[in-house]
Amino acid sequence: MEIAYFLGCIMNNRYPGIEKATRMLFDKVGIELKDMEGASCCPAPGVFGSFDQKTWATIAARNIAIAEGMGDDIVTECNGCYGSLFEAKELLDENPAKKDEINAVLAETTKYQYEGTSNVRHFAEVLYNDVGLDKLAEMFEKPLDINVAVHYGCHFLKPTAAKQLGDAENPSILDELVEITGAKSVDYTDKQMCCGAGGGLRSRDKSVTTSFTKEKLDNMTKAGVDCIVNVCPFCHMQFDVGQNEVNEQYGTDFHLPVLHLAQLYGLAMGLSADELTFGAQQQDIAPVIKKIN
Amino acid sequence: MSVIDRLKSLFGICKDSEIDETSTENDKLTSEQTSSNESSVSNSDSKIESSKSIVGTDKEEEVKHPKEKIFSKIKKAEKISEKSLDSSEGTEEDISVKSEDNSEDAKETDNERDNMTLLNDNDVYTLDDIDFDFKERFVEAGLETVEHCFQCGTCGGGCPSGRRTPYRVRQVVRKCLLGLKEEVISDPALWMCTTCYTCQERCPRSVTIVDIIKFARNEAAHAGYMADAHKATGKFVIESGHGVPINDQVKALRKNIGLEEVPPTTHKYPEALSEVQAICKACAFDKLVDYQGL
Repeated sequence: MEIAYFLGCIMNNRYPGIEKATRMLFDKVGIELKDMEGASCCPAPGVFGSFDQKTWATIAARNIAIAEGMGDDIVTECNGCYGSLFEAKELLDENPAKKDEINAVLAETTKYQYEGTSNVRHFAEVLYNDVGLDKLAEMFEKPLDINVAVHYGCHFLKPTAAKQLGDAENPSILDELVEITGAKSVDYTDKQMCCGAGGGLRSRDKSVTTSFTKEKLDNMTKAGVDCIVNVCPFCHMQFDVGQNEVNEQYGTDFHLPVLHLAQLYGLAMGLSADELTFGAQQQDIAPVIKKIN
Repeated sequence: MSVIDRLKSLFGICKDSEIDETSTENDKLTSEQTSSNESSVSNSDSKIESSKSIVGTDKEEEVKHPKEKIFSKIKKAEKISEKSLDSSEGTEEDISVKSEDNSEDAKETDNERDNMTLLNDNDVYTLDDIDFDFKERFVEAGLETVEHCFQCGTCGGGCPSGRRTPYRVRQVVRKCLLGLKEEVISDPALWMCTTCYTCQERCPRSVTIVDIIKFARNEAAHAGYMADAHKATGKFVIESGHGVPINDQVKALRKNIGLEEVPPTTHKYPEALSEVQAICKACAFDKLVDYQGL
């Protein structure tokens, strides 16, 4: 099996350890990740999607068309990219007039045309459905005896009517994916709540975003977890960088380590903290490393 | 000076003080907005995030909204004064009649009744406030579920933004349906939605609320209501193809762990970046975010 690997922006340009662990994991489970040469920002749903639907849909269609040219489905490990590409595909597949309008812009400006032949998929869902929990568990060398606050993020499962990945109010897919490493997913108040960064809010009104994050951190801390695990580099950045901003805005002292699911799997596969670029993150990973050793 | 003239001058003073009050509110709004802008800027030096992506928000633009509100408030204040003047003659007669009757209690009852009034005349929308095309634009865009909303409020009940900001998602949907375009697009609260979909998931009428909010934001952006910080993110994509572009520190980090130093995106392929820029130009996105140079 092969699949087109959509990088997006934040993962590859800020947290490359996520990319490193993902490439290694997919290689181990026998899925070839094919580079999408010349792909761009998805583009960001909160900014482009909120400003000009035509620009947003055209740039997204160009990205999808790159994978169509490769004859592959797309995998992304960012909820924002997943949401943007998935929604753009849905818009164009269901509205022939819109598809013609966007293809006219693509014909004028690029070498691509959008056909609708590639599916858009999320990394966690590919691992769960195509690889399976049993096979994944075989890849791991050491059990991780830690308590985890799982953060689903918003655009992984929602809108459920379109995504069709199951219930979003009380899901278990990520908890199952975390627990095969030996870690325990600990329930906490308002677990399905947003991190606060999306919809263009982080860049526009950061103090409001920070207030969302504070509520999440309060609830996670009360549950007594060792770290946060997410499946979205934007949520990841919000919990990592945003945690300092919470401490600054509220005088708190939160220091929860933040891991993307790929990084958690990286630790379980025996990768070092340096290979997973934890050193470039704001929150110290040391307490987690200490506990698993 | 007649009693009526004295009353008129009295209400004249009232009118001025109304304006003073709203001006003060304007100042307050402006200073709040400015301080939040400053906090955005002060956070920009964080280690991991591109500091450029969060430079400044549009102070001038933010100031514009409260000002517009103030003008309408002043207009409304004038209306009240006029109405008060019109009714003052009657009131004077009433007072004289009532004082003859010594009916102080009846007067108090009237005041209580006034306090219980749910709407004042100036709270009522008129046809002048309605843009009849506005709702149709939603329907044409495939968002016909805006018409299905029955205002139960389930959306607002679960909204994490509504807990901490003036964003009232049920009201926005209602205003879109009513055609209150200017009120919807000029309200900065429209931008408080994180698109978390909680409202949409729980809506018993399957209204595509998030798409409605995003469409309303498109209308707002095209009417000039856009924060500078958002324009800046748009500019990053025009310049690099990425909302969060790479930097030298991350290039080194990538190399250290055995990844390609520059990812195989628009960062590596200039011709790919040219295509993204051509799309932005063809869709006039560059003009929308005030980008010069395409």
